Amino acid sequence: MFKKQAKRLALWGGGTLAAVWAGLANAGIFWIFDPKGTMADTNLHYMIIDVVIMGAIVGITALLVIWFMWKYSKGKNRGKYDAHWSHSNTLEVLVWGIPIIAVGFLAYFAVKGTFEINPYNPTVITKHMAPKGDPVHVDVIATDWQWLFIYPQYHMAVANELVLPVHTPVFFRLTSTAVTSGFFIPQLVGMIDVMPGMRTKNALESDRIGVYQGIASDYAGAGTSWMTFPTKMVSKEDFQNWVSKVQTSPKTMTYASFNRFAEPYINVNHRVVYFSNVESGIFDHLMMEVMHGKTWPLPPAMTENMVAYMQKQAAEHRD
Amino acid sequence: MLVQVPGGWNPLLGRLAIDQIPYTNPILAPLFVAVVIGGIILLGLITYYQKWGYLWKEWLTTVDHKKLGVMYIILGLVMLFRGFIDGLMIRTQQVWANGPQSSGVFGAVHGYLTPFHFGQVYSAHGLIMILLAATPLLVGFMNIIVPLQVGARDMAYPYLNALGLWITAAAVALIMISLFVGDFAHNGWFGYAPIFELQYSPGVGVDYWIWTLELTALGTTLGGINLIATIVKMRAPGMTWFRLPIFTWASLSANIIALTSFPALQVALFLVACDRYFGSHFFTAGFGGNLMLYTNLFWLWGHPEVYFVILPAFGMMSEIFPAFSEKPLFGYITMVAASFAIAGVSWLVWLHHFFTMGAGPEVNSFFSVATMLVGIPTGVKVFNWAFTMYRGRITYTAAMLWAIGALFLLLVGGLTGMMLAIPAINYMVHNSVFVIAHFHSMLLVIVYAIFGSVLFWFPKVFGFKLDEFWAKTMFWLFSAGTVLVFVPMYMLGFMGQTRRLDYVFNTAWHPYLVTEEIGIAVYCLSVAAFFVLLYVSIRDRVKNRVGQDAWGTSRSLEWLTHSPVPFYNFAVTPHVNARDELAWRRHNGINEAQPTQYVDIHMPNNTGVAIYIGALTFVLGFALTWRVWWLCLLSLVAIIVLMIVRSWRGDPGYIITAAELEKMEREAMQRQQQVEGHLPHHGGHAVPSGAMAYEGQKVSPLGTPPSSGDHH
Ligand code: HEM
Ligand SMILES: [Cu+2]
Repeated sequence: MFKKQAKRLALWGGGTLAAVWAGLANAGIFWIFDPKGTMADTNLHYMIIDVVIMGAIVGITALLVIWFMWKYSKGKNRGKYDAHWSHSNTLEVLVWGIPIIAVGFLAYFAVKGTFEINPYNPTVITKHMAPKGDPVHVDVIATDWQWLFIYPQYHMAVANELVLPVHTPVFFRLTSTAVTSGFFIPQLVGMIDVMPGMRTKNALESDRIGVYQGIASDYAGAGTSWMTFPTKMVSKEDFQNWVSKVQTSPKTMTYASFNRFAEPYINVNHRVVYFSNVESGIFDHLMMEVMHGKTWPLPPAMTENMVAYMQKQAAEHRD
Repeated sequence: MLVQVPGGWNPLLGRLAIDQIPYTNPILAPLFVAVVIGGIILLGLITYYQKWGYLWKEWLTTVDHKKLGVMYIILGLVMLFRGFIDGLMIRTQQVWANGPQSSGVFGAVHGYLTPFHFGQVYSAHGLIMILLAATPLLVGFMNIIVPLQVGARDMAYPYLNALGLWITAAAVALIMISLFVGDFAHNGWFGYAPIFELQYSPGVGVDYWIWTLELTALGTTLGGINLIATIVKMRAPGMTWFRLPIFTWASLSANIIALTSFPALQVALFLVACDRYFGSHFFTAGFGGNLMLYTNLFWLWGHPEVYFVILPAFGMMSEIFPAFSEKPLFGYITMVAASFAIAGVSWLVWLHHFFTMGAGPEVNSFFSVATMLVGIPTGVKVFNWAFTMYRGRITYTAAMLWAIGALFLLLVGGLTGMMLAIPAINYMVHNSVFVIAHFHSMLLVIVYAIFGSVLFWFPKVFGFKLDEFWAKTMFWLFSAGTVLVFVPMYMLGFMGQTRRLDYVFNTAWHPYLVTEEIGIAVYCLSVAAFFVLLYVSIRDRVKNRVGQDAWGTSRSLEWLTHSPVPFYNFAVTPHVNARDELAWRRHNGINEAQPTQYVDIHMPNNTGVAIYIGALTFVLGFALTWRVWWLCLLSLVAIIVLMIVRSWRGDPGYIITAAELEKMEREAMQRQQQVEGHLPHHGGHAVPSGAMAYEGQKVSPLGTPPSSGDHH
């Protein structure tokens, strides 16, 4: 009786899942399967190779097990029973040989891929870099809990929004004020750690205009969940227009005002701020200070009551 | 030298203050009341039935490896339940706090858990499940089964064994009390630098986390020493290395990992403690600290640890498959080789947990390839189980169903592990729920193997079988829950959902989060089925009684002694003639041969010292957490004094005389007769020359010659 129930349950569950899958799969919500930039394309390419090779082995093994389960079921007399059989040299060679060969193949691709999208020097981008296609440089600073994107070439900065031109290599330097986090734009580029007192790098390039979600991918404390940022890939002209707009922003930034900006702030309302006339060298200055022991301490049990905390934050007029 | 802590400190109570008790919390306060009432009822019942003496003499002071094992397993099951409740809370928060329109209660902007509480819940969940549920459950099984499988009377160090249990119990008590006094860490089960430093985690949560981990690490290390010594030194005559049952081999490889890797964790945490208590700068961002050093040290232990928990589970599966396929394990030697290959390589792969740190491509390539190498012996194991079923005669008992379920989960976990091992893929799914789904597939292999083992070995320990119908109901419900929770979770990983989100910003993920929540509800049903299973089985215990060989197809030495196993395990140490000794004896018709004469045996005495030391380590952990220095000193001195006193006195043990032994054996055999309808034979049937049932007992030839068990 319970078998029937279990079957019905399995059918129901399977049916729901299938419906959900079918209804939404083509909506493009599988970001990893829907890359929009060179780096993410490469990630997907290697994922497909790996899944094809491993999937074949795993799939065949699963079928083999199911077949044995059917054939050697007691009392069904479908297969010959041999109470002592427990060794075969041929099979031993196969069971070790197949995984070894598979891992050999995969190792080749793993190493190749690691170099191709090495965040410090991704050959998929640098190899084809047009000499005239001047790259854009962005200094990324993660605070508790906002993103600051400094465009040193344009002496400007933007909080919580990233705007980039298409057909242009973009190189990031990343650091953090207080704690470790992660920089991740699923459809454009994979994750890289963002650490206080240290500098990591990443890069991306895309030829597809659109808005892509950016995420803080590593837990950085209370405000992490709201540390998201839209990434807008725009045409080169639109980018220039946007730059001019930011450069006229009344807000400016010096290292001192950066320090105020970097105080704990939970970005529940997704505010975006533009800064013009940004002092140069904030990124390096920050790294030096953190290495010499600067911290941004948090009060104990700060978000024990989040609603109350948000009122306090709003009262400080920082929204 | 000690650092200043925010929020006040006084010499008497340290950081303890009344506002550290969350009596206004709408979830914790009622829970606390329920726990107190439940506790009072329990204590009242024990007093009413006058069971204190029994509890103290038979359980709390015992050094019997089976009883300690049972207590480890009960502890593990309780924590599995606690961890499950945490999991339920995490899933409920995420399905609720989805999108800017979602409502919020209890001070949360979205959902019902604020970031402050959510962080604690998932950190406790991970730590509990890996170190205080899976580990005690596995250590419990190793405790019970290994001495029986090698034909020993107890572990090499029975008192040390009790100590290991009570220190683990102290760790459990410490994490449980953090619910009601103070708070717990929010830095995840593995901790991040520098968020666990005092500036970013000024409360006591991280301190609870440190000392809980330190205590389990200590308990597990002690257990590891004991198991290794037992396997190396306590094997019965004739039990050569290549006749060793496969679960024992798995335990050996696992405990070698434990013994060599846990110290890395202890050192790492000790350094974190130095930062937090003495103001040193090992893992701070500034002053020459190196935060990635922590991550390296942690995973240097952390990766071997995951193999420490999976290897015994592989061992369990390797016992269950042959028993219900009525055939020896395929490729015993390669199975052993694979276990040690896994154990060896597991040391060389830790960096795959942080490929995204920004190490050069050479470094990442090395660790990528090393990680994939682990896939080879793991694959071999799967093939070997498959070929164990090949040409077999498979009975689908509930235990076998769990083992088969574990095999399929391993395929899924292996496939996704091999994806994560490639940096070019890892960058996209690291720190996403895809990783969560990967390691839950793997950890569920362990859970499946454990439930299979509970069913498989229960009759050995308690003398009756668990109810098959309810066991299978539980299995199917649990498996439905697994599919409903983890298939959508893999999909969410491909959609880019990162882990540890208190608020889930993307509403397109909602249907998948809802499916996961349904899965959790189904898991709840399977938990209910488990309780029914226990109730029904205990109710029908007389009907379901079994003799020594509970399944009729069991293979290794533990099935040779009575069920339930007498406290002295084997009245006379058996002589081992073959790999799969019991199967061999059955084949030769001497599986019921009994010793012809008994001799006195020497047994260890019970001791209360272990539980006292356990209690004191709890006090020490609590005092350290709250910085009550006088209490730290007091408990530490008391522990040292107790240890010295105990070592001075030693344990002379006591003697069971041959006559007493014979009487107990006769009773056990009468029980066997009631169950099976005939009396076991004294002496032996016709048995091959050179073979022995018990040392010094010769029997005349027939049947297959003694062998190491390899039939071609
Ligand atoms: C075929 C063998 C396996 C391979 C290739 C493999 C690979 C990996 C990789 C590369 C990661 C890092 C993912 C990331 O954070 O980006 C990972 C995480 C993890 N694996 Fe496996 N794994 C394997 C087997 C296992 C087993 C047997 C277990 C044991 C239960 C396990 C438990 C875990 C855990 C607990 C984590 C993540 C911990 C965390 O981040 O919280 N894995 N695995
Ligand atoms: Cu690992």
